Parts: sequence; structure tokens; C-alpha cells
Amino acid sequence: MSGYRLGGAHVTDSFAEAFPMRFARLVITAATDAWALEAARSMTGFATSVIGCKCEAAIERGIAASDTPDGRPGAAVLLFAMDREGVGKRVLERVGQSVMTCPTTACFDGLPGAEKTVPLGGSLRYFGDGFQASKVIAGQRFWRIPVMEGEFLVSESVGVGTGVGGGNIVIGAGDDAAALAAAEAAAVAMRGDGIALPFPGGIVRSGSKVGSLKSKSLPASTNHQMAPTLRVQVDDTLVPDDVDAIFEIVIDGVTEDAVREAMRRGLHAAAVAGATHITAANFGGKLGQFHFPLSELRDPP
Amino acid sequence: MTLTLSLRSEPPARILAPGLVPERLRGLNASAVAAVEVRCGGETISVGDLFEVSGAGAEDEALVLAGDLRRFDCVGARMSSGEIAVRGDVGAWAGAEMSGGALRIFGDAGARLGAAYPGARAGMTGGEIVVSGDAGEETGAGMRRGLVAVGGRTGNGAGLRMLAGTVIALGGIGAEAGLGNRRGSLVSGRPVEPLPAYAFAARFQPPALRLQLRRVRELGLTVDDALIRGSWARWSGDRTELSRGEILIFEDEEGSRE
Repeated sequence: MSGYRLGGAHVTDSFAEAFPMRFARLVITAATDAWALEAARSMTGFATSVIGCKCEAAIERGIAASDTPDGRPGAAVLLFAMDREGVGKRVLERVGQSVMTCPTTACFDGLPGAEKTVPLGGSLRYFGDGFQASKVIAGQRFWRIPVMEGEFLVSESVGVGTGVGGGNIVIGAGDDAAALAAAEAAAVAMRGDGIALPFPGGIVRSGSKVGSLKSKSLPASTNHQMAPTLRVQVDDTLVPDDVDAIFEIVIDGVTEDAVREAMRRGLHAAAVAGATHITAANFGGKLGQFHFPLSELRDPP
Repeated sequence: MTLTLSLRSEPPARILAPGLVPERLRGLNASAVAAVEVRCGGETISVGDLFEVSGAGAEDEALVLAGDLRRFDCVGARMSSGEIAVRGDVGAWAGAEMSGGALRIFGDAGARLGAAYPGARAGMTGGEIVVSGDAGEETGAGMRRGLVAVGGRTGNGAGLRMLAGTVIALGGIGAEAGLGNRRGSLVSGRPVEPLPAYAFAARFQPPALRLQLRRVRELGLTVDDALIRGSWARWSGDRTELSRGEILIFEDEEGSRE
């Protein structure tokens, strides 16, 4: 089998295949860290995959009070969708339902100066039913939407950038506990500036393939080649002999480089945390604009 | 090099100085600036007669006016971009009908700061005015957009017939503020008795004001943390108009209202 050894793991000669996506970064602030995170978690819930959730979102990082626009503790959220229109719709829905509703929050554009924008406060303001007011502060317009607690302050629009979605590493080990421990270590190492890991805890266990063997209407179905329980039931299994559990970590990043480096961090963390087998998922290389060969990630971060 | 105009001596009469704005002086050298004419009483006088001129009008540097300019009216009036720094006091109508840029006055300002000219509906429509001292009567009269921040107090009648925008007076706004105010915000760092056309709405921590006060601090005024963190009383008015304007009055933690 081609590839290389890294720590306790065999790394295959595969590559991750990724796509251009549009993204927005929102900075959510609140009276306390806890409430900022509460809003950020709510906003990034049910945002694991564009296939079923129409967007992919995750908390990028917590932000110290000294570094937020209003001097309160905050969190940065990255939200990815296939196009700018999608980003606009999802951001509007999610800020409206998850951030505006959350006690004490305010919501700001985390990509100030971006060339392309989508309206946020500019649309949400209608919730104010005519009682909303705007302020231009240091050249940026904000909307003040009266709510039962006081006012919800929100940026008129948010910037949209072009990022990369679908970077991944696939981590296998001899049993489920070991595989999960390795995946957890990888997820911790991979989080960072410019990175969103949209799945629960950053980790996905139900990797999928495009389409289905049985049904024409299913856009995606289980990755039977990587399901250990089907090892002898299917002809085309890819589960290595000594592996009984596999997890995948999917990465959306603000740049190609951010994705590559996150993959590198994850790969090296998993390799010393119990993974016996590490590979990456792709579609044969014809669909995605970006390829991240694991062979290029051999050097430590 | 920064274009600096240093006043030689007090002018013989009031000066109308709306021409002394960055966009008009950009690209001019010292002698060309000295040749610019301004109104002095009933006469015309050249800048060189009034000021020592040094430097040249540069794109991204402030125009500095130094000296006691209390006899100078309309400093920075109708300016649309760039920055003016006044190292001294200015007369009336400073920043009147300004539409952009920054006017910083390291001293006191006279009446009708950022205001509308007589007969005009709208005063300042954009930009930022920062006064480290006090401002005169009817500050921000007719203002439509933008920020006027005063470190000290404003005179009476701030925000007269204001359309929108924000006037912040850390040392407190004067009496009879906000008459005919439609959507504007008047912010008083000290207790003040609002006009009867205003009604008390609620105490709260206005999130937009937090941003504005931080901006004011960034622009160089000393803003107490208590103002940024504390509670403000919102009074709505002018109720003979839209009743969509507000006077925000700082209240300390204990709550000093009534």
C-alpha cells in the first residue's frame, strides 16, 4: 500500500477534494462570554452540510472583550454556502432567529471592507416594525431594533468572501474509542483562525457518497466502502484490515492555505493520538477545484 | 508636510472662513494657500495676511489651524472630506452643513456648531466633529447625519429641529435641547431637565451609544468607562414632531433620576 508512516498511523496516498464556497464572518457580542457563545452555538446549529442544511457553519473562535467592536466578550462565527445569495439568506435567517433572540447580544460584520456584501440589518430592521433606527458610526451603518430587553444592534450588511469548503481527513483505528480519541485530538488541533469544522464536535461519523446505489432521488447515501460492518458484504470495501471504526473531519476555511494547514495540524495530531490509518475523501478529482494531497502534509505544522 | 496655518494676530473683524477646508487647499503649496482670500468684515483679505503658512495641502494629512480663532466663523463649513485640526477656539457655524471628513477642535466652539444655515432645512449631513472644550448654543441644529462630540458642555438649544444624527456632550447638554427634534439623538453625560415635549421611556444600556462612545474615545476625547458601561435614561421626543428622537441622559449605577 502506498503512503507513509506518521506516528502510529499509516497515511495513504489520497487527497482531499474541495470546492470554492462563499462565506461570511459574524462577530457576536454579549454581556458575558457565556451568552455570546450561547448565541453562536444556536446560530451554528443544524449547519453541518450544505446538502441538508443549506449552509455549513461553526464557531471560529472566542474573542476577548478588548478586541470586539463594542468592548464586550464575543465569538466569531463562520458561515459557508455555495453562493453569495445562499450566504445572505442563511445569515439573515440565523441571525434573526438565533442571535437577535438571544439575551444581550449584538451582531457585527467580521469582514469589514469586503468587496461584496449581503444585507443583514438592512433586512432584519423590518422586524422593528417602523420603530427601528439607524446610526452611522465611523462610516458604517448599524440598525437599532427595539426588543423587549432594550435594543438589538446589528450591522447593516456583512461582507462575503470566497473560501474553500470540503477539506477533510479521515481517521481510522482498531476500535471506536481509539478512533474517536484520535479524531477529537485532531479536531482540537485543527480549529483556529479562518477555520470552521461544521459537524458536531467537528467530527462526522456518517461519511457519505454522492447519490445512492438503490434510489435515484437520494442526493447522498452512506459511504458503504468505509463502513466496517459492511466489510464482507460489499465488493468494494476500503476499510483496512485492522480498522473497526472511522471518523471524518470536514473543514471549511477562508483560504486554501487555511484548509491545508488545518489538515496538516489534524493529521499530525491524530497520528500520535491513536489513529492507525489516515486517509482523505475525494470524488475522483474531477469535481473539486482544490486538491489537498496528504503526501504534501508530511512535514509537521 | 502638514499644512499649518498659524494665526499672526487677532483679525480686525469677523472672518468668514468656509474656504479653509482640505478639499479646497489640496495640492496647493504654501504661497498658493497664502493667496487664498477670505471675507473679513466687509472686506476681502488673503490668508497670508492672517496666518503664517507652512507646509502644503496634502491628500491624507490634517489641515492645522493654530491660534485663537474665536473671530473665525464657518471653520470647516460644508467640508466633505479630509481632516481639520484647530488648535484653539473657533467662532460660530464651525462645521456647518458639513458632509464628511473630520473636524477636530482642541478648544471651544461657538454657536451653531455643525448646524444648518438660516433657511436651510438640513445642517451637517455626515462626518465627525470633535470639540475638546465646550460648544455654543444650538449645537447640531438641523443636523441630518453624523456625529458631534463635545468633551465639555453644549450651550442651550442643542439639536434644535434636528433631523437625525447624534450630538454627544460628555459634560452635559444645555437647557431646552432637542426642540423640534425628529429622529436625532442627544446624549448628555450629566443630568439635564428635558423639555416637556420629551417623555421618559426607560433606563437601559444603549448598544449603539456604546459604539459611539468608543468611537469618541478613539477620536481623542476622554470618555469615562462608567459612561460606556453604565445605564442611560431614554427620553423620547420631540412629541410635537415624530417623537422618534431621543435624549439619553447618563445615570450612575445607583440611578439618579428624580
